[in-house]
Amino acid sequence: MSPVPLLAFEAIEKSFGAVRALRGVSFELRAGEVHALLGENGAGKSTLIKVATGAHAPDAGTLVVAGERLARLDPAAAKAHGIACIYQQPALFPDLTVAENLALRLEPAGGWRRVRWGERRRRAEALLRQAGAHVPPDREVRELSMPEQQLVEMAGALGAGARIVLMDEPTASLTQPEQERLFAAVRALKASGVGIIYISHRLDEIFALADRVTVLRDGATVGSRTAAELDEPDLIRLMVGREVDRLYPPPAAPAGEVVLDVRGLGCAAAGVHDVSFTVHAGEVFALAGLVGAGRTELARVLFGLTPADAGEVRLQGERVALGSPRAAMAAGLAYVPEDRRRHGVVPELPVAQNLTLAAHRAIFPGGWLRAGPEQRCAAELIARLDIRPAEPAAPVTSLSGGNQQKVALGRWLATNPRVLILDEPTQGVDVGAKGEIHRRIRELAAGGLAVILISSDLPEVLGMGDRIGVMRGGTLREILTGGTPAPAVMAAALGRAGKGAA
Amino acid sequence: MKSYARELAVAAVLGLLLVVLAVWAPAFFEPAPLRSLLAREAPTLVVACGMALVILTRQIDISVGSQFSACSVAAGLLAAAGWPMGLVLPAAVALGAVLGAVNGALVAGLGLPSIVVTLATMVTLRQGLNLARQGEFVNLPDGVQWLGLGQSAGQGMLLLVAGAVFVTLALALRHLAAGRHVYAVGSDAEAARLAGLRPRRVTLAAFMLLGACAGLAAVMNVVQSPQVQPLAGSGLELKVIAAVVVGGVAISGGRGRLGGVFLGLLLLAFISPALTHLHIEAYWEKAIQGAIILLAVLADAGRKEDSP
Amino acid sequence: MTRGAELIRAGWRRHEVRLLAVLVAEWLVFYYCGTSVNRHGVVVGFGTLERQGDILRHSCEIGLLALVLTPVILTAGIDLSVGSLLGLCAVVFGQLWHDAGLSVGAAAALTLVAGALAGGLNAGLIAGLRLPPLIVTLGTYSLFRGLAEALTRGAVTYTDFPAGFLALGQDRALGLPVQAWAFLAVAAAVWVLVHRTMTGRAFRVIGFSPEGARYAGLPVRRTLALAYVLAGVVAALAALIYTARIGQAKADAGTGYELSAIAAVVLGGTSIFGGRGSVTGTLLGVAAIAVLQNGLATIPVVIRLNAAGEIAGLLTGALLLGALSAEAAAKVLSQLRRRRQSAPGPNPVAP
Repeated sequence: MSPVPLLAFEAIEKSFGAVRALRGVSFELRAGEVHALLGENGAGKSTLIKVATGAHAPDAGTLVVAGERLARLDPAAAKAHGIACIYQQPALFPDLTVAENLALRLEPAGGWRRVRWGERRRRAEALLRQAGAHVPPDREVRELSMPEQQLVEMAGALGAGARIVLMDEPTASLTQPEQERLFAAVRALKASGVGIIYISHRLDEIFALADRVTVLRDGATVGSRTAAELDEPDLIRLMVGREVDRLYPPPAAPAGEVVLDVRGLGCAAAGVHDVSFTVHAGEVFALAGLVGAGRTELARVLFGLTPADAGEVRLQGERVALGSPRAAMAAGLAYVPEDRRRHGVVPELPVAQNLTLAAHRAIFPGGWLRAGPEQRCAAELIARLDIRPAEPAAPVTSLSGGNQQKVALGRWLATNPRVLILDEPTQGVDVGAKGEIHRRIRELAAGGLAVILISSDLPEVLGMGDRIGVMRGGTLREILTGGTPAPAVMAAALGRAGKGAA
Repeated sequence: MKSYARELAVAAVLGLLLVVLAVWAPAFFEPAPLRSLLAREAPTLVVACGMALVILTRQIDISVGSQFSACSVAAGLLAAAGWPMGLVLPAAVALGAVLGAVNGALVAGLGLPSIVVTLATMVTLRQGLNLARQGEFVNLPDGVQWLGLGQSAGQGMLLLVAGAVFVTLALALRHLAAGRHVYAVGSDAEAARLAGLRPRRVTLAAFMLLGACAGLAAVMNVVQSPQVQPLAGSGLELKVIAAVVVGGVAISGGRGRLGGVFLGLLLLAFISPALTHLHIEAYWEKAIQGAIILLAVLADAGRKEDSP
Repeated sequence: MTRGAELIRAGWRRHEVRLLAVLVAEWLVFYYCGTSVNRHGVVVGFGTLERQGDILRHSCEIGLLALVLTPVILTAGIDLSVGSLLGLCAVVFGQLWHDAGLSVGAAAALTLVAGALAGGLNAGLIAGLRLPPLIVTLGTYSLFRGLAEALTRGAVTYTDFPAGFLALGQDRALGLPVQAWAFLAVAAAVWVLVHRTMTGRAFRVIGFSPEGARYAGLPVRRTLALAYVLAGVVAALAALIYTARIGQAKADAGTGYELSAIAAVVLGGTSIFGGRGSVTGTLLGVAAIAVLQNGLATIPVVIRLNAAGEIAGLLTGALLLGALSAEAAAKVLSQLRRRRQSAPGPNPVAP
């Protein structure tokens, strides 16, 4: 039916040490389609992307680009074949300007030519306009926000005249309007005959954008389908290979006494001001808002990473000073940060040492390391959170994303906190593990913990939050009751109902 | 946005030093001694330019002092054996490039940390030289010193060569695609790889260029005296790295310009003669150099806090 | 495979075991080549107890520096200033005793305080202001040596220390050189600190991921500061031992020691990128270099060439390069082999 596919994967295999990341992946990308690639975390999507861009050489199998069988593919050859990739974490040069970043992507590889600075600048301006990015080309990339960096990546792909664009969770950190702009750019690319492989965990996006869907499970393709013939439960079934009965567990018990009482909290350095709210024992207090609204910044202020300069915090009625993470921990706060690999865990360290890292005062009295208590503590947490593989001595790098997240969570459970702040706990986590993490959060709340849940995933906020705080412009604007309809929450986050956005 | 704050700060300190000298020790500006001073520092500038390249790629080379010594001895021996300077010069430059290539291959090819690799090659090379020469000086035949041009013309020639190397490299770093690749690799090697550049090749080339610069500088140093000391380059690496850092090149790679390196080198080079002219004991030189390096990093810290 | 063979294979993968094998091999070579009987029928050379004691005596100062550089390098830091600080502390000690007329004990105590203060300067800049350790300690490398030269006007040498003090560097106690006991005590303390305390684990965590350490609530600044202050204090101790062994205090004491100490630490298997390494490895690294340097001086051919120091330096550099490249090359080779075995594409790759 279709002519030659733009890109075909034929039985691609790739292993890292003992881990078989890909064990026979085959599918085709046609011109002018958005092809969604789906799968649980650790199913091999990111590895496949790296094979297609030449960053990893496959151990077996063949890549066919526009009918041409390629024996070898390195990044330069991939670029020459019109393959471009927009990564989750943009692969840009922080020390160089936007214009130069684009130029390095687009200009021929040879070193012996003169740099035409004026031309670079003009071309960058044109491409940025095309991608809908309001970014001055002379800014250094280190000064840009993450979404701005992604738009620079988009501009790069547009400029490369790419025929094949790979997008690895491009919306993970985008705000709603930025997302819309990105979708428009994707549709424009598609209309011009480009084939797009689109990876995302957000099913609504896939139904909004994709023509066809290929599902990966355990490093192999389960099958390719037309998006129109699928619905959400079908997709989830294909991905996890089992029925996922209910996504959000119901609240177990009515909320108890006030545990955390925040009054007029502010921190000029973090851009947070005048935040007041309370959280009760057994309650999940969800924090909604757009990226840049100040939710992570608020969490960092509470946890003492950027100490507050205004307001007060009371824990069970007692006023506490939160000047450092250590002070916050001593007061009974725990913070599972958004960036798991950089902040949440120490990837090179074994699971057991990661699990006991925050609780060492209790486990190692006087600061002397002791193997027995450490092993007992780790074994208990591994069993309680069902961390797999249950191998305390394995480095955290050998675990999947969902299990790494459990380690990041387990570290704080070991400290017996009274308030638990979770920052995007299910970002980049597959559907199956997501449900499990939601169940755990409920269990913890039922055990009397006060939970603050920061999430950009609106269904998660609605499904988990007993009350929903909406942040905008660095402060808490509204507190909504659980069960508020989604459009109302979104409107509050956007500031459409009344006052203009800050 | 580009900022020339560092260049301006170093230039201001340098200017202040020159004003102080002009008022209290105008003898400093007498042409002949000043030209001698600059000629003595000319080889250092050449090496500093090469070092800036390596540091821009986020590496470091502490073996340049040993490379410089090895090239000096080799150049001296070849000249003593009757080779014309027209052959001695390319031979020394080639030897430097080969020595640099060894470092570069170990760092770029095997992915070893550059500070350890060059520490090892520094020790190996220096002890090899000690073993081969046993501290013996090489006596140069007539006509080698000042290339037979006489002192003032020879010194002028050296300044010209150093200036040419400096200008060429500075222009190449700014206006040649290959120069921008150096910045790209130092800023983020993985991103450079994904953009289709070849970071390993760029890193290897930077080390080789530094080696070649060390070879050229060695010859520029050899022609200034009638003898070649076997360990002429000891301590050169730290002097050069200090100039690069004071000049505002970030040790984390990808940031900095050669103009700053030039000013940084002048500032560090003027301290010792300035002390002599101002009748301060010269023993303070190293302490003052150390203090200047610390002030330069402190200034970096202050700048970091200004930007988000 | 039998269990014993498996154990040996597993052990061989440990860096310390391989280094121990190198050390034993070195020792055996020197024992057979460097020991002889002179014309009075007395055994001389490498195989004598006296020579073994000398090896210990001569490796104490660099050994001490290597020991305290281990925690610093574990945090992914570096301290280039320890050699210069040794020189500065030697001069300070000489001045306090000779010029200020303090007793040896008081002068020594104040020297240790001076070392702590100098280490504190590094610590303040690196841990407090988060400046890059390579550049900060490059600056203090120059500063400390410069201060030593300025204090002595580049010329003054302090000598004629009392015999009681010189005993620290020249006598024996319980069969070992006196300073060896100090070295062993510091070695034990550093080993316990690095391998048996939470602070030791914090060194590693900071080396792997300073941000991760902060988010886990570890005292990052305090831990980093401790590593650099400790380096300062022990450099001062090394200065006292050096002065007692040589019998004089000069501004150029300990020149180049920082590089020898770093070489020993890296040879001992501690990663310059931080996080990985052990104190045992460092001790073996120090021993391997010390035996090489002293052993060479007992081999007749080398004695005739009068080049023991140079050959030892050459071999140390080669050993370091070899140890580093062997591991990296093995990794690269195995990658290449795997790629060749499973080269994708229809065209078989010609060998």
